[in-house]
Amino acid sequence: MSTSAYQHIDLHMHTTVSDGTDTPSEILSRVRDAGLDLFAVTDHDAIRGCSAVISARREGDPHFLCGAEFSTRDEGGKYHILGYGYDPASAAILGVVQMGHELRMNKIRRRIELLAETYGFQFPPEEIRALLANENPGKPHLGNLMTRLGFTKSKEDAILNYINKVKLRTEYIRPETAIRGILFAGGIPVLAHPTYGSGEELYMGEEMEERLRHLLEMGIRGVEAYYSGFTMPMQKELLGYADKYDLYVTAGSDYHGKNKLVVLGDTNLENAADAHPGVRRFLMAVSDRII
Amino acid sequence: MKEVRGEVQGDRISLILSGRIDSNNAGDTEAAIRAIADQAPGKPVLIDAEGLEYISSAGLRVILRLRKTNEDVHIINVNPEVYEIFDMTGFTQMMTVDKAYRVVSVEGAEEIGRGANGTIYRIDQDNVVKVYNNADALEEIQHEREVARKALVLGIPTAISYDVVRVNDSYGSVFELLNAKSFSKILAEEPEKMDWCVKEYVDLLKKIHGTLVPKGQLPVLKDTVLSWGEFMKPYLTEEEHEKLMRMINEIPEDDHMVHGDYHTKNVELVDDEVLLIDMDTLAVGHPILELASMYNAFIGYSEYDHNNVKKFQGFDFETALEFWHKVLSAYLETSDEKKIREVEDKARIIGLIRMIRRSIRRKGLETPDGKAEIELWLSELKELLGKTDSLLFRSNELDVEATGENLSKVIGFVTAFLEEADCPLKTQMQIEVAVEEIFVNIANYAYAPEQGNATVRVEVSDDPVTVTIQFIDQGFPYDPLAKQDPDVTMSAEDRQIGGLGIFMAKKSMDDIAYRYENGKNILTMKKKITG
Repeated sequence: MSTSAYQHIDLHMHTTVSDGTDTPSEILSRVRDAGLDLFAVTDHDAIRGCSAVISARREGDPHFLCGAEFSTRDEGGKYHILGYGYDPASAAILGVVQMGHELRMNKIRRRIELLAETYGFQFPPEEIRALLANENPGKPHLGNLMTRLGFTKSKEDAILNYINKVKLRTEYIRPETAIRGILFAGGIPVLAHPTYGSGEELYMGEEMEERLRHLLEMGIRGVEAYYSGFTMPMQKELLGYADKYDLYVTAGSDYHGKNKLVVLGDTNLENAADAHPGVRRFLMAVSDRII
Repeated sequence: MKEVRGEVQGDRISLILSGRIDSNNAGDTEAAIRAIADQAPGKPVLIDAEGLEYISSAGLRVILRLRKTNEDVHIINVNPEVYEIFDMTGFTQMMTVDKAYRVVSVEGAEEIGRGANGTIYRIDQDNVVKVYNNADALEEIQHEREVARKALVLGIPTAISYDVVRVNDSYGSVFELLNAKSFSKILAEEPEKMDWCVKEYVDLLKKIHGTLVPKGQLPVLKDTVLSWGEFMKPYLTEEEHEKLMRMINEIPEDDHMVHGDYHTKNVELVDDEVLLIDMDTLAVGHPILELASMYNAFIGYSEYDHNNVKKFQGFDFETALEFWHKVLSAYLETSDEKKIREVEDKARIIGLIRMIRRSIRRKGLETPDGKAEIELWLSELKELLGKTDSLLFRSNELDVEATGENLSKVIGFVTAFLEEADCPLKTQMQIEVAVEEIFVNIANYAYAPEQGNATVRVEVSDDPVTVTIQFIDQGFPYDPLAKQDPDVTMSAEDRQIGGLGIFMAKKSMDDIAYRYENGKNILTMKKKITG
């Protein structure tokens, strides 16, 4: 299939496998309703959602590409690295997923211990087990549990006044680990929402370019220049880097279901067929992996 | 939640944001905004961000998503740090974002200037603020900033405001003015500096009037004066009014700069530099229009109440009279009282219609002092109209682009002086030959391959009647007289090309001299005019 047939695309969304609120099959039906030609599921540090979507897909459904979003950090800062078109059976990608999962599990265990030490919250062992049974439990899951157990008034109260207050030295996947894992699995590593860093920062100009150059040395191949939360100056700056460093360009909404008010399919890119040439080059590079 | 308050007011969604909006509360903030905004889908949104201390990228995304459902989003009272974020990220291009203005008090501050549109106060050692009379002055401030910038680019020394602030119920623009002292203050406190003030004040005025402004960049002052003339219709006889309008109409289009409010409070001495301030009246026009407003500032408004000038400028009426007279004499480069009086009368005609119009509009004919003032000024105006036939006066200086096309303009300019001095036709033609040679020489070589201006200055002195003509250009330093005279005894074929023009100029004038001074070529030639 020619890449120009993909006009309405969204390559960044989350399912219940990470912190989205739609299950993989729910997201598939939303993608159908939104009239997307091509979509990718990019759960945090997880790829299980992709196989779920693949098995739920039926003849005539929108085209699909496997994805993932790794939360990474090194001395230079935090980076969200998207991976696309990898071989899902490759040990390289599974290794990164496993590492991310273990770090997350360690983190949540340590956090529960610290909350118990600092505030005297007694988490029943069966609740801890249930929490840890989640694929990738994070702050919202823990906050919900604390509220349900009556420790806090709300999830926000739990996160703001307790969970964020206990400082723990967290370990992260290093960006080169994620990038190499994606590359070895035959995939393409792309920097997610570059201007917003790991979600909360704001990088423009020199600072942005320095971060990008840091990752270029590790092998990053693209930038998510079309993003629901970007303004024109941000998009323009990133497309400029795509030209300067010969990068692939992707488009994503970062849809999280009810957890964020992002509209599925809103990527600030109306038609991929007449977007920056980096988009078409990306689609050609992953064309063998699109189903 | 406390960060978001608001309601739907008629056809508008009104929101108040405060505190910090970051990833911790962005979700709740968005939900709270939606709860209000969804009551009036797609309607314009006005966000008051006065209490908003910080907004992270998560917060920006909340605003961005609001902008996607509601096209018209207007944010006001944004603090400078938050504004910088909005500006850098392009939000200021997608929606109207208005900065919160710093509040400045002028209570007890020294008033250093007062113009038609506002008052200037010194707020500290280094800064002054111009407070506008008009409460909604943001557009005026923008205009003044723009014209000041244009003037600076054209070489006029001026201060440009760097900030806009709130002062009481109005706005002010802030300028840096280190150790500045206005000419009004110098005249009031150091009367011995009168002559120095006159010289600097006139030098700057000539610089302004010698500055060509590209077409369309500044308002045309003559248009305003025409409207004052129209206003006078009911107060003059038909004949008087026709004459007034004809004389105003006869003022030629002029692309040179005029300040429009050139009095001594608007000229500041800053360290050793003379600086022009209060630029909002900057325009283009004939110098007589400027002289009219200067006459009003020093004499006109105080003619019947001498205290006015003291109140306004800080010096007494006698000082004002002396200063104005000396300025006019220096500006016209003449000590001929008759000539000075003549130009003053022309300036007074325009000055009077402005004052009469102002008085009628502000006080009206019904109030006793309004009536007295207006009737007196009207009788003066009528008297002046009776004895004046033109508002034009001849400047003895012409500043033109040095091109061949302007030759006839230059010759016409010089000839007018010669005719007035009853110069015999033969002498006139000799002088014209010299003028042509010198001007064409400047046009062809002074700035080649670029182009530049040339100033021609004419003076006629008595006893014996002598005309002095000066050519000034800022081109490459070149002494045309240094070249050896061509050997005119040789046949035309053998003669060297060039040099003949200068030779002819030398021949036809009594005296011709060259000097290079302050980056200028100055060629002076003289000829006695014998009747």
